[in-house]
Amino acid sequence: MNPILALAAKDLRILMRDKTGFFFSLIWPLLLAVLFGTIFGGGGDGGGTIPIIVVDEDGTDASRAFLARLEAAPELEVTAGTRTEAVDEVRRGKKSAFVVIKRGFGEAGENPFWGEPPTVELGADPARGAEAGMIEGILMKYASERLKDFFANTTLQQESIAEAKRAVREADDMDPGLRSRFEGFFGALDDLLRETDNLQEADTANAFGNGLGGFTPLEVEQAEIIVERRWPTNAYAISFPQGIAWGLIGVAAGFGISLVSERTRGTLMRLQTAPISRTAILAGKALACFTTTVTLSFVLLIVGRLIFGLRPSSVGMAAFAVVSSAVAFAGIMMLLSVLGKTEQAAGGIGWAVLIMLSMFGGGMIPLFVLPGWMRTVSHVSPVKWSILALEGAVWRQFSFMEMLLPCGILIAVGVVCFAIGARAFDWVQRS
Amino acid sequence: MAGAAILELKNLSKSFGPIRAVDDLTFEIHEGEIFGLLGPNGAGKTTTVNMAAGLIEPDGGSVSLRGGGLPADPATRSCIGMAPQALAVYDALSGEENLKFFGTLQGLRGKRLRERVAWALEFVDLVGREKDRVKTYSGGMKRRLNLAAALLHEPPLLLLDEPTVGVDPQSRNAIFERITALRDDGRAVLYTTHYMEEAQRLCDRVGIMDHGRLLALDKVEELIRTHGGTSVIHVDRGRGEERIETDDPMGELVKMHAEGKVLTFRVDSPDLECVFLNLTGRHLRDD
Ligand SMILES: Nc1ncnc2c1ncn2[C@@H]1O[C@H](COP(=O)(O)OP(=O)(O)OP(=O)(O)O)[C@@H](O)[C@H]1O
Ligand SMILES: [Mg+2]
Repeated sequence: MNPILALAAKDLRILMRDKTGFFFSLIWPLLLAVLFGTIFGGGGDGGGTIPIIVVDEDGTDASRAFLARLEAAPELEVTAGTRTEAVDEVRRGKKSAFVVIKRGFGEAGENPFWGEPPTVELGADPARGAEAGMIEGILMKYASERLKDFFANTTLQQESIAEAKRAVREADDMDPGLRSRFEGFFGALDDLLRETDNLQEADTANAFGNGLGGFTPLEVEQAEIIVERRWPTNAYAISFPQGIAWGLIGVAAGFGISLVSERTRGTLMRLQTAPISRTAILAGKALACFTTTVTLSFVLLIVGRLIFGLRPSSVGMAAFAVVSSAVAFAGIMMLLSVLGKTEQAAGGIGWAVLIMLSMFGGGMIPLFVLPGWMRTVSHVSPVKWSILALEGAVWRQFSFMEMLLPCGILIAVGVVCFAIGARAFDWVQRS
Repeated sequence: MAGAAILELKNLSKSFGPIRAVDDLTFEIHEGEIFGLLGPNGAGKTTTVNMAAGLIEPDGGSVSLRGGGLPADPATRSCIGMAPQALAVYDALSGEENLKFFGTLQGLRGKRLRERVAWALEFVDLVGREKDRVKTYSGGMKRRLNLAAALLHEPPLLLLDEPTVGVDPQSRNAIFERITALRDDGRAVLYTTHYMEEAQRLCDRVGIMDHGRLLALDKVEELIRTHGGTSVIHVDRGRGEERIETDDPMGELVKMHAEGKVLTFRVDSPDLECVFLNLTGRHLRDD
């Protein structure tokens, strides 16, 4: 094994065995992210109603009735508007989604068994995947209710069929072959209606799902929409980058202290008598720090993605933000390790510095609610750039070019801090 | 004298602020010898060892390994096996994990690494406890592991800084035997201690150090002969205890026996303690 890898593996093994260290570098950031996200409103509209805007392009009785149904729905908060308004409001994040009742909706609804099903278009904020799914479910539910009403009228339908049968029978000039075919058809139709009568007893949704195989009460077309992000989609989108930042801080402080304790406890001596360079020793520590922060960041992002509705724009962007942050904090770790001669001193000074950086960098209170002067001061804090890069990936939907600024700063911070720290490390050791 | 010089220290000096920790120190260690550095606390033993290992930059003088190599050069360093005075092992890892890790850094791999780790565990008698975390070890066990880690890569030069402090007599005896075996194998050992019995028993040559200076350096018996002074006979011939200094205690006793009744007697031969006393005017230890 390469000595740098061996050094890093040793540190990671020690970290895994240190319950406190493990807690503060993984569990604690996650708890913070979840806790703060929940305190500040969680999934945003979770539990409440979902705001949507509905456009009626059909203008038939059926479409108006469907609109009325949606307006009456307790799960939704419906406003009516034009398509332009709808797209605009969703794009600007004011509404979760728009629903367009498309032309031909009423006509299609009259013939539930043939032709195209009635169609609506759904334009949902892609970052709110869970909500979009819910809206689709709700639309289906009300469309099904509309059909249920249609089937509730089967007696009426049966009467009209009976009437039609009678008319066929009484048409003396009809070809007997054709007549018998008509009779067969009406008989089948009668059976079908009687059958659906029974189905009424069962839950409608189930009936459509299972009983009638693939039958769709409503076709939902997904409209593509690009949402401008000026605000995070939910509170977790703020709290998870903050949680990751806290994790970065905790891990950097932890490894910084562990480097100091290698010096005070004497193990550094043994490392230094091994035939490896001093740079390799420090690089091993930095690699362990880097690996831990990358793991921590991805664990939080994955938990956030799976459970808390985070929608990173791409794996690549998230990885870019995570790796740059990890580089920065590995360098900062190096610098922390030379701040004090003892573990206590380095730990105390390290935490004080990091908490300041965090406070001014938006690690505690999101930057966009801080006063202007603090936002200016925040530029000096790597925590700020780290959170910005993570937010760029999580909800700001930064392009690669936009990512370059925070990520570039982070990598530069990491390299410079490592270089200064490594120099100072020699100096501290000699003094 | 043993084989070729493997470590040469020339006019080595080191100060920490006003404290002159090592003062113009010169000696060399040869293959196949155990060289003891004997001195009280603060004499400068550890500082000397650390300079020899390249861990501390000397203020003046030079260190050369294997005829010219500098300890700052990683390649030269691999000829050193060091057991620092501070216990340089990781508490959170097991004994075996510690040794595997340090062995890896020394470039050992695979089967060879496993063999050397097993050998080193055997050497310090930690077999059976190798899977336990070091934090569950006793002080003496940690000290033994600290020694084992120095031996993994079969270095020709061992720098052992008080390697048996806190180790019980039985384990210590076993370790002495094994260190002697390594010496017979051609290894050079620099062994620091403030136990004169240890130095007397184990070391081929001993340097006596105080206040950073080397006061005397020779084979143990030579040191005693030149600096130990006379033997002392405590004898009771019926008139209370008498104290007689002599260079020839046997001859003196035979003479006394011929003169009359000797009730009890005890002979104190000079040892390194006496050497230290004569050189410094102080006792090496208070007891
Ligand atoms: N890093 C340091 N900073 C300041 N003074 C030091 C340092 N290291 C050693 N000294 C001083 O140098 C002198 C020699 O110390 P050293 O550790 O070499 O002694 P030693 O012979 O190994 O003692 P011991 O038997 O207690 O281990 C002492 O006075 C000590 O206080
Ligand atoms: Mg010492």
